Amino acid sequence: MIGRDIDEAGDDVVALAGLPADTSLRHIPLACGEHLLLLVVRCENESDGQLTTEAGLLTKTASDWVAAAPQPCGGLLPVVTVPLYGCHVAVTPGRAAVLGPPARLDGLAAAVIEFANREAELRQLERRCTDLLESLNDDAHHAFQFDTQSLGHRDMLAARFREAVAVRVQLALAAPTVHAAAVHPPTLASQLGERLRDRTRLVERHEFAIERAELAERFYEASGQRAADFGIARRQMGLEWAIVVLLVIQTVLLIIDILAGRAAT
Amino acid sequence: MSLWSSDSNRPPRVAIVGGGPGGLFTAWHLERLAATPLSLTIFEATSRLGGKVCTASFTAADVRYEAGAAELYDYSPVGHDPLKDLVRQVGLPMVSLGGSVVFVAGRPIANLDDIVEAYGEEARRELTSFDIRARSGITPAEFYGSGSDHVADAAAGGRFAAMLDGISCRKARRYVDVMIHSDLATEVGETNCGYGLQNYLMNDPAYMRLYCIAGGNEQLMHAITARLAAQVRLGTVVTEVAGGPEETLRLCLRAGDNLQVEEFDVVILALPIDAFKRVRFAGTTLADAMRRHVEHHDHPAHYLRVSVLLDRPVPSLPGDDAYLMLDAFGGTCLYVESARDPCGSHGVLGWLLGGAAAVEMAVLSDEALVAAVLGSLPAPLAACRDHVVESRVHRWTGAVSALPGGWVRRPADLRHRPSPVHRGLFVVGDYLYDSTLNGVFDSAEHVADWVTAESLGARLSARATPFIKPTEASH
Repeated sequence: MIGRDIDEAGDDVVALAGLPADTSLRHIPLACGEHLLLLVVRCENESDGQLTTEAGLLTKTASDWVAAAPQPCGGLLPVVTVPLYGCHVAVTPGRAAVLGPPARLDGLAAAVIEFANREAELRQLERRCTDLLESLNDDAHHAFQFDTQSLGHRDMLAARFREAVAVRVQLALAAPTVHAAAVHPPTLASQLGERLRDRTRLVERHEFAIERAELAERFYEASGQRAADFGIARRQMGLEWAIVVLLVIQTVLLIIDILAGRAAT
Repeated sequence: MSLWSSDSNRPPRVAIVGGGPGGLFTAWHLERLAATPLSLTIFEATSRLGGKVCTASFTAADVRYEAGAAELYDYSPVGHDPLKDLVRQVGLPMVSLGGSVVFVAGRPIANLDDIVEAYGEEARRELTSFDIRARSGITPAEFYGSGSDHVADAAAGGRFAAMLDGISCRKARRYVDVMIHSDLATEVGETNCGYGLQNYLMNDPAYMRLYCIAGGNEQLMHAITARLAAQVRLGTVVTEVAGGPEETLRLCLRAGDNLQVEEFDVVILALPIDAFKRVRFAGTTLADAMRRHVEHHDHPAHYLRVSVLLDRPVPSLPGDDAYLMLDAFGGTCLYVESARDPCGSHGVLGWLLGGAAAVEMAVLSDEALVAAVLGSLPAPLAACRDHVVESRVHRWTGAVSALPGGWVRRPADLRHRPSPVHRGLFVVGDYLYDSTLNGVFDSAEHVADWVTAESLGARLSARATPFIKPTEASH
């Protein structure tokens, strides 16, 4: 059974006042540095798998609490509610509620935590992609022209290229879980995971993020190439001037030598 | 020698007998593949095209429901899906259909957790073990390619009952029976292993998914018809097929009281197997070939579709599914039609009854049938009984093939051209594949490929010997 760990602010305790005494609220640290408040509410079902009237009221209270979550990403993701074979799940970034018979709660909670980790990780990667695309806008001219004035930006462009590659790597690492095949025969947890993945369009979002990261990577790769070409060209030019100077000196010395020879004869 | 007429001045005359999905798909393929213009005529005995793909409307309210084929199969997770491509090409919106709940003895079973809770750990082990055997029997690629000659039917032989006997837990066996029977037009134990397994594995998204066309599956038939140049003759019954001169085929036609005879270079019979018995095939060779074809494929299986209109929306199914499976009538599928085609203030429920129950119940009056299906409603939907406004029954007896245990599928060419002597006579049908719309689409494509290849061959040989007609050359 999930342990009780209500350590939230007083507002939450008030908002959740109508829930049963054995309700638990867990503070789950997610892999990407965010946190999830997971409300686990025990409720019984009718024999046909439907929620009882009392459970229906609990569902509303819990869903309202989830909907009141401060949105860490400016309300990008609305509350996703999944009624699932006698259980009920509501999820939004930062908060989630799971309601169901006691025997099902552990599996459902694990599925929600797993999903929240994936979703938060993807959301963070999406943010990094957005940042990259915004800076790409400012850096666009470097892709066509790189001159002495641009030299000061070279380290920054290199850093952004490294960031684009890092995002690509993270997206590649996330791919197997985002694109995981549906489990068959299904378990309640696998059904919940698949529904949450579908409703939040995790697969599509992952593909869009890959496209954006690819765009940034291609751009900064091209900019890096321009910067490198410019550096090489500068070095080549210095060398060419050195050769010219040496040739001039050699020619002058040769002329002096010829004139000195004539004078001697 | 070519099956095409020696008269190169007129386009080849092709008759398609049957205006159901088989006939329309064949015409669609032919018009796109043919290298030369064809004189294509579709003969349909009834007054509408589309056959088993039938989207009807209630009279009490302008609300649609599927009276025939309920869904299409989406094979795109495994490979190229030409039928889905066609739906996309003609611009029809698709709606995914999902459903996991099997109501057994009033109890919803949707996943392994429910299995353990209802039947115990042993049942879970047995079901998991059956699932592994099933997936070893047919891989997703084999499932995708089933029906083609190059994909061996690894598990087709034998009766499916023998495989199900591996599940010793009676309740778990019942669960699997209901799950499979709900989409099978015959009895689970009587079909062959391959077909039984396909009906089990179709629940696994790794093998296939289900979808329908928003606004009604019949829209696909309308969209195809609107794009065909073929002449369509409704209300025209083909009563006799006979060989004609120069390898042509003669059709005796009856339209109302008018009788007429027409000649064609190619005749494609896109009829349900049962309809062959109402056509006379003249000549001993042709009659024998067609008799053998019918005998080999005549394993009728049956469906009943019962649809009810409610004066209020149907409550959401547990898990927001579009359908659920009930153990009533040996296993039936209950569709929430409004999940695929929202109908505002109304709701529509549709039952799909198959197999022996469909045969037994087909003789009942519509009222008795509706009362019986309403009685089967599970508790979450029981309140719908009090809100029925109108009901409709559609009997699809003998509409598909049961593909019985031990039945061996013939090679694709032999299936589609039953008489090697009458080379212009082809057949198309879902019963030649897996009794699905996707199957009949493959069948139509096979025949259209063949006919156009022969047509091209005829053109090439005509160019090679421009002054000698095939008939003269043979003398």
